[in-house]
Amino acid sequence: MKNILVIAKNTFKETVRDKILYGILAFALLFLISTTMFGSISLGEDIKVIKDLGLAGIYIFSLIITIFLGSSLIYKELEKRTLYVIFSKPVSVFQFIIGKFMGLWASISLNILLMTAIYLGIVAIKGGGFDYVSLFAILLLIFEIAILIALTILFSTFTTPLAGTIYTIIILYIGHSISITKTFAEKSEPFVRYLLNASYYIFPNLEKFNLRNDVVYGSLPNSAQVIYPIVYSALFTTVLLSLAISALKKQDL
Amino acid sequence: MLKIMIKITNLTKSYSKTKIVDDLSLEIKKGSIFGFLGPNGAGKTTTIKMLVGLSKPDGGEIKIEDKNISKSREIIGFMPEDPYFYDHLTALEFLQYMGSLFDLPRHPELPHSHPEQSEGSRPRAGGFARFFANAQNDKIGILNKINQLLGLVGLGKAKNQPIEYFSKGMKQRLGLAQAIINDPDYIFLDEPLDGLDPIGRREFKEILLELKKRGKTIFFNSHILSDVEEICDQIGIINKGKLIYSGDVKGFCKNKSLEDAFVDKILTIK
Repeated sequence: MKNILVIAKNTFKETVRDKILYGILAFALLFLISTTMFGSISLGEDIKVIKDLGLAGIYIFSLIITIFLGSSLIYKELEKRTLYVIFSKPVSVFQFIIGKFMGLWASISLNILLMTAIYLGIVAIKGGGFDYVSLFAILLLIFEIAILIALTILFSTFTTPLAGTIYTIIILYIGHSISITKTFAEKSEPFVRYLLNASYYIFPNLEKFNLRNDVVYGSLPNSAQVIYPIVYSALFTTVLLSLAISALKKQDL
Repeated sequence: MLKIMIKITNLTKSYSKTKIVDDLSLEIKKGSIFGFLGPNGAGKTTTIKMLVGLSKPDGGEIKIEDKNISKSREIIGFMPEDPYFYDHLTALEFLQYMGSLFDLPRHPELPHSHPEQSEGSRPRAGGFARFFANAQNDKIGILNKINQLLGLVGLGKAKNQPIEYFSKGMKQRLGLAQAIINDPDYIFLDEPLDGLDPIGRREFKEILLELKKRGKTIFFNSHILSDVEEICDQIGIINKGKLIYSGDVKGFCKNKSLEDAFVDKILTIK
C-alpha cells in the first residue's frame, strides 16, 4: 500500500505541474465566465443557461484534461524508460498501475473541483444561490472520469497516445449512446440484435453518470441514481485496471 | 578468495527469432568491479536488463546471493543507459520519491561496513563516507541523507531545479544517485560514464572505487575502455550475444592496452 501512495503522490505532483494543463484550465475558466454573457441574452432564463453551459463546460474540459494526461501516462514511462528505474526497485506492476491511476484521478478531481468552485461562484453572483444540487452531477462526473482514466491507462500500456486518444473518444461516444443501442437492438434482426446486446454489456454505459439535465432544473436525484453509478464505476474501473496490469506484465521492457 | 555472489548460467534471450544473448554464463565475485564490454548490439544492455529483472530470459538462470532477482530488489541498484526522469520534479523530489520506494533506513547498525572503512579513515570521495554513515543512523532524516547524496554526486546546488532543465551529465549524476539511494550491495550501471566531462568521469570513477572499498559489487557496461582498464578487477566481453572472454583485465590485455586487445579480439572473430 505504501508504494501505491508514493507513486500516486508523484503522479499527482507531475501532472498538476504540467504547463499544458494550465492552458486547458485557463480556457475552461474563460468559458465558465463567458456563460454569464450567454445567460444575459437568454430572455429571463439566464440562471438555467448558465447552469446548462457551465456544467457542460466542466464536463467537456474534464474530458479534455483526462484524455490529454491519461493517454500518455504509461506510454511516456515506457518510451522514456523511467519504468526501468521504477521496476528495478521493489515495485510491482500492480502497485505501479494503481498508483498512477490514483495520482491522476486525484489531480483531475482537483481540477474539476476548481472549475466547480468558479461555476458555483458565478451561479451565486447571478442570483441562483448555492447550487448544491449540481454537486451530485459533479460527483458522478468524477466517477465517470475514473472509468475514462482507467481506459486511457489501459490503452497507453500498448498503444501510442494518438491511437489511445482516438479509441477513448470512440468508446466515450459509444458509452453515451449505448441506451439508444439497446432500444435499436430490440427492433433489429437476431444477429444484429446479438451484436448490439453484446456491445451493451461490453462498453461502459456512461449515460448513467449524466445527471446534468436533471440538476439544471434543481431536481434532486434519488439515492439509487447516485449510488448505482458509483458502484458501476468501481466495478468497471477495476476490470479496466486489471486488464492494464495484465497488459503491462506482458510487456518485455 | 572472494565469494561468487552473482551467478549467470546459460542465459539466453531472443527478439524476433534473433538471438541477442546466447548461452551466456558468468560468475562475478563479491566486492569486485566487473566491466562488461562489447561492440554495439552485442547484447550488453539486454543482459543487464535481465540481471535487474526488467526483461525475462528465454532460458537460463540468474542468481544473486543464491536468490532469484525477484527476491533481491532490495539489495540491488540500477542506473539505465541515458537515463530520463520526470521533467516536472526537482532532483530532490525525485530522490525522495525513489527513496520512499524502499523502507529506508535499511540498516540500524553498520553490517555493510568494509573492514578497511574503520573510523577515521578518509575515503577519496569524502562525502560518500558521511552519506553511508548517516544512512545507517536512524536519527538522521531521509531528507538529510538525500541532500548528502546529491552533494556526493555533484548536484547539491541544482537540487531544487526541475529535471527538465538538466544537462545529460547532470541526469547521469542523478541516475547514479537513485541507483545507490538504498545502499545496495549490488550495483548495475549501463554506460554510466557516457555524457560526462573529464572531471565528471573522474568523480564517477572515485565514487565507484569507494563503493568497491565498502564491499559493494559493481557490474557495468561501458564503451570507454580506458576507464574500464583503470577501475575494473574483471571484465567480460560479449560479441553477437556470445561471451568470448571472462577474467581479469591483465590476463586479457597481455601487455597491450585494453582498447588494442579488445579491437584485436573482435576483429579476429569477425
